[in-house]
Amino acid sequence: MSSSHTKDASFLGGRIPAEIESMSKNLKDVDQELFRKILKAVVSALEGKDSREAMKSIAESSIIPQERLSHIVAGMYKVLSEAIRIPTSSLKQEAFREDLRELRIPEDFITDFSSVVFGNRRAALDAATSQNDPHLPTVEDFKWRVDVAISTSSLARALQPSVLMQMKLSDGSFHRFEVPVSKFQELRYNVALILKEMNDLEKRNILKIQD
Amino acid sequence: MADVEPTKSLSGLLNGIAQNVYYNNTDITEQLLKDELYPELSQDEFKAVHEKMKGLIKSIATADMDHAQLEAFLTAQTKRQGSGGVNGEQATALSRFWKSQRLRVRESLLAQSRWEPGLRGLSWRVDLHTADSRGDAAHSCPVALMELELGRAGQDSEFICLEFDETKVNQVLKKMSDIQESIDRIVHRT
Repeated sequence: MSSSHTKDASFLGGRIPAEIESMSKNLKDVDQELFRKILKAVVSALEGKDSREAMKSIAESSIIPQERLSHIVAGMYKVLSEAIRIPTSSLKQEAFREDLRELRIPEDFITDFSSVVFGNRRAALDAATSQNDPHLPTVEDFKWRVDVAISTSSLARALQPSVLMQMKLSDGSFHRFEVPVSKFQELRYNVALILKEMNDLEKRNILKIQD
Repeated sequence: MADVEPTKSLSGLLNGIAQNVYYNNTDITEQLLKDELYPELSQDEFKAVHEKMKGLIKSIATADMDHAQLEAFLTAQTKRQGSGGVNGEQATALSRFWKSQRLRVRESLLAQSRWEPGLRGLSWRVDLHTADSRGDAAHSCPVALMELELGRAGQDSEFICLEFDETKVNQVLKKMSDIQESIDRIVHRT
């Protein structure tokens, strides 16, 4: 049936991942209430939250054996993580549903999957998963102080302003350093230049999309 | 010839002292200055001249004298009698030396009271984030990568690499303008 009309490759790629195959086999007598509970736990795991407690209570209250439950959880995680990899501009909702139908996943569950991938929580999911990309540390906190050295052990009348900066980075490290006024001007100029470059880049990018 | 040489030696001595005392150039030793500039003086005679000049430069540098202050200081010194005084030749050499070295000496003295690592330089790059292991990024966004070079005087630099998105760059720039404002307030008052 599926080969009767030309259609884009499945969002899962040429070969259906094993987790998803076994999930669809194990979903048969799962009711929607349980499915939604699992879905909620899986989504919060994708968002990087600790969902161990939720999973534990599902496993304890469910009549489905743990063995099968673990196939279901793994498959659902795979479906969602594969779907979220693809930007919504490239993966159409209908194509996504069609791909899942071909795996014999019940229609109600497809609707639930679809509401996660295309619903309003998508932005939060994207943001959470992008945390896993390789990153350089970012500045979490930036404090400063402007000092004027009035007099020092080697200079009777210094009267020299300087800036003390302290940065807390996302990797947890602290850096404190002094910036002489002339260096500060250089720093400020360069930060402004960076912002300008970024703005220019975005403008060019918008033009490209409109093409 | 006889007129030129002492002036040259004197200016060499002053610059040599500055190298050793203020610019951390340990190659220029007292002995080297004596051998190169004053081979005809005895060790004690040279030591006396050296100490006197070193002391004078220190007085001038610590007070960070401007032109008028220096003139007054040197005039007072030339009027002093005996070995503590300064002759006209020495006054001219000191005046010339200070004119060319004042800023550099001041900078070196300021650095002596700076204990935190200082910002030595920065370099940056703006990238367009287009794809990652999760697939194509939905909206490619610019990312700024910045490298800060920090270091304490006389020590090797340490480098910090940072990443900024546009919002963060904007925030930092806002702080920079706050800092600028606060510097301007002080600089105007003094």
